Amino acid sequence: MRYSTGTAIAAFALAAAFPAAASAEWTKTWVIEWNEPAMYYGAKSGVIDPGTDCPKGTNPDIDWVQVMVNAGYTREEAAWLRNPANPTRSPVHGQNQMAFRGKDRANVYINPTSTPDPGLTPVSGTIGEGIDLDGNTKNGFTGLNGEKGIDNSFYRTLGCWKTYRGPQRLSSGALQFNDAMRNGSWTTVIVATGKGADPMNDKDVKVGFYMSADKIVKDGNGGVALDYTFRIKPDAKYEALYSARTQNGVIASTAPADVMLRDPSYSQDLDLLRSRISLKMKPDGSLQGYVGGYRAWAPVYKGWVDARGPVIEALTWVQLPGVYYALQRNADFSPTGTAGEKTHISYAMRVDALPAFVMTPDGGKQVTEITSYKASAPPPSKPSATTFSVIDGLVPDRNAKVQAGPTAVILPPTTAPTSAGQ
Amino acid sequence: MATKAGLVWAALAVAGLFGAATFTTATPLPVWAQAAGPVTPVKVGVRRITETQYRHTIADVFGPDIKISARFEPEKREEGLLAVGSSQLSLTASGFEQYFALASSISEQALGEARRAETVGCTPKDTRKMDEACARQFVGSYGQQLFRRPLTEAETTARLKPASVGTQQSGDFYTGLQLALTSLLMDPDFIFRMETAEADPANPRTYRLDGYSKASRISYLLWDTTPDAELRAAASSGDIHTSAGLRKQLDRLVASPRFEDGARAFFTDMLQLDGFDNLIKDPATYPKFNQAVADSAKEQTLKTTIDLLVAKKRDYRDLFSSNETFINRYLASVYKVPYSSSNAWAPYTFPESSERAGILTQVSFLSLFAHPAGSSPTRRGVKVHEIFMCEPTPEPPADVDFSKVQDSAKGTVRGRLLDHMENTGCTACHRRSDPPGLALEHFDGLGQLRTMENGSRIDVSADLDGKKFEGAQGLAKYLRDDPKIPACLVRNVYAYGVGRPTDERDEDYIADQTAAFASSGYVLPSLMAQIASSPEFLKPVIPRLASPSAAKPL
Repeated sequence: MRYSTGTAIAAFALAAAFPAAASAEWTKTWVIEWNEPAMYYGAKSGVIDPGTDCPKGTNPDIDWVQVMVNAGYTREEAAWLRNPANPTRSPVHGQNQMAFRGKDRANVYINPTSTPDPGLTPVSGTIGEGIDLDGNTKNGFTGLNGEKGIDNSFYRTLGCWKTYRGPQRLSSGALQFNDAMRNGSWTTVIVATGKGADPMNDKDVKVGFYMSADKIVKDGNGGVALDYTFRIKPDAKYEALYSARTQNGVIASTAPADVMLRDPSYSQDLDLLRSRISLKMKPDGSLQGYVGGYRAWAPVYKGWVDARGPVIEALTWVQLPGVYYALQRNADFSPTGTAGEKTHISYAMRVDALPAFVMTPDGGKQVTEITSYKASAPPPSKPSATTFSVIDGLVPDRNAKVQAGPTAVILPPTTAPTSAGQ
Repeated sequence: MATKAGLVWAALAVAGLFGAATFTTATPLPVWAQAAGPVTPVKVGVRRITETQYRHTIADVFGPDIKISARFEPEKREEGLLAVGSSQLSLTASGFEQYFALASSISEQALGEARRAETVGCTPKDTRKMDEACARQFVGSYGQQLFRRPLTEAETTARLKPASVGTQQSGDFYTGLQLALTSLLMDPDFIFRMETAEADPANPRTYRLDGYSKASRISYLLWDTTPDAELRAAASSGDIHTSAGLRKQLDRLVASPRFEDGARAFFTDMLQLDGFDNLIKDPATYPKFNQAVADSAKEQTLKTTIDLLVAKKRDYRDLFSSNETFINRYLASVYKVPYSSSNAWAPYTFPESSERAGILTQVSFLSLFAHPAGSSPTRRGVKVHEIFMCEPTPEPPADVDFSKVQDSAKGTVRGRLLDHMENTGCTACHRRSDPPGLALEHFDGLGQLRTMENGSRIDVSADLDGKKFEGAQGLAKYLRDDPKIPACLVRNVYAYGVGRPTDERDEDYIADQTAAFASSGYVLPSLMAQIASSPEFLKPVIPRLASPSAAKPL
């Protein structure tokens, strides 16, 4: 099992990097109130308008009838598959037959290379958000403050996709998952400790991201309330520990770390290699910045497939095989070395956190040191994002006489008005 | 339909009650000194039961799992207490509908298949037919618990009839019983606490509260619910009229854990915590305020009060100075402290640096008596005088210009109030009302600690009756040492129990009780038992128009 091995190795490494620390001189604690992929929006207004990032605006909706025709269906069959009146098209789970448009009508969600790359227009702008992960200022984007070498190939790949594109806090994906977090689906807290006298400028800082079982509380304006207390919940998967320093209130990594965070996405796992942080402690006590690193791109794709391919494609204006090809094409990191397969892609998550009290797991005292709690965590549980059973990107209709598939016969009403089935 | 018939019948009964209620708050008349002949029983008090009394009663009679989902009729605060206002309440048409819906719901739950055997207590010979003996037993048992006295034969018969008709029409005995129970739950004798005076056997020309009325008065004071079987037995046997019998019951009630319910109900009323039902805060100014904070604030004050005064039997005056309290996760956010517990509530001691001392520095008092978007030294001061010192403040003159006070963007509230007091019509009251509130100005309209307002340092010095004090802790010490504080509690307990305000004729009594309260070490349970055992507490106030000869026989 990749996770258990990785976890064990990580735990060993953490034990070395974060031994039972002596009490810090200062401790600051926050709860994440918003987190989203760092996707710079280059338009001046709107949420899908053309901008410097995507000159043609957000990638438009797709002519799905034509897609199916290109896949070998007759135009009548394709139109009937897309017709809401078609009893095989679920108003909740979509049209399952959409999956079978690969070679020999293979399921393109689980076998995306069975169809030619349909393309996905990438970001063409030069401005991007995130962190310089590789120390090379000659590649990547230019940051909002002119810094060079921002590594965020994930943004370049998906930044024009409707799910991700939009001003801060307004892309549909960010809204969807942060609403879930704020409504209690999960809570992530951040703890920073330092040994220096000045928290704003300290050479020896440790930072920990931990899960909490205590739910976020909303204030009277619908925002996240300040100063609530959260107990750390030891988690075998989600934990991130960093060595850092502060300079003028900015917490920046001093060494890369391999970490796993709770991702605001369907995949839920944000597995970051060579991760770094850049977080600013603001005068109002809040924390704002980025967590960056190289994330495995295949789980990202699988997350969208498992969220029901037909639904995601229809709602977010994208062909999932195009996402697969694009991620593969733009991947820029191999854990095995520069010659290895590029299984990871540079990524940055925008983080906003508010002052909060963070307690030890038993709730008895405030956390004053950064340490790993993984050893005391129960085994990780399987994600339970959906209440329905998704198989190969589809939710089969158990009551259907004929299931969607490579051999399903499509019978438009003109040929069989009353018994159309798949 | 039977239910419609019941509705009409009950409506008529309530209409009749209102006529009776008009004389119940008349000025007390010592008729025992005037009575020329033997006295006949007369109704001397009618009080609508409060929401908590209703809930406690239903839970006691039918079980705590009976669901009561309703919006109760608004209550009315008179002379600082809802309990006093309850003597003046009637029922609106919509309120009547609510009680009727509640009665139907409770009857359905109590006599549903799952629990009817337990509820009824007897088994009908044939569930498809009327069993009068079983129905009579049922009506008699629940009637006396709900009416707080045994039913008369006429009252019993009035319930047996719908039970019989309902059984006949539905072919189900329990459906018939549901109608009978609904009728009991809709009766004014349940929704209102009726107090009856009867001839005192020791002096037939004088009145005394009858045993059941005494039992009710005591039970609702100490437990906030209907008298239990033992108390009803003491009323039935007449033991409650004897000093020893009364003392035995009072000792039992005060020693019971149920006494907490009574004390909670009393302090909810006295501290005006019902205000949380309608409290609004401007979310732009106080984003931390939400319903959970409101509910928690109310509960914090009650928990603190009950723990201090009932569980620990501490000096009542400690309520104003003790730093011991309880918090939960929501309140910890407002107080800006970590919540160090995995339980819903945890004991907490405010540190000296918090400037907090006693219940006046808790979120409940500070947020209840403030503006939606700001603090209010005047409101807080007025309420300190009214609630804890029994010194009401007159309403402001109609022509006052509040504009200077309301401009909250400039300076401190103290400064704005000083400007406002240039109006000579305002000075006299504000000089008296504001000082306690000014001492609390380090707490904003939600109760959060602050030292600055609009860039200016907040001055929390105050001067009341020539005594100077500083800040909330100074106010706490001032109040703790003020003899008006315990005297006001005595006055409130008495008025709460008898359902009428005190007046000049009660002054000696209040003074005696206050002295006894002091002798007990200002211990609340002792005070409540002491007042409940006093002859004045159980003395009926005879309606002005009633006289032994004119009183309508019951």
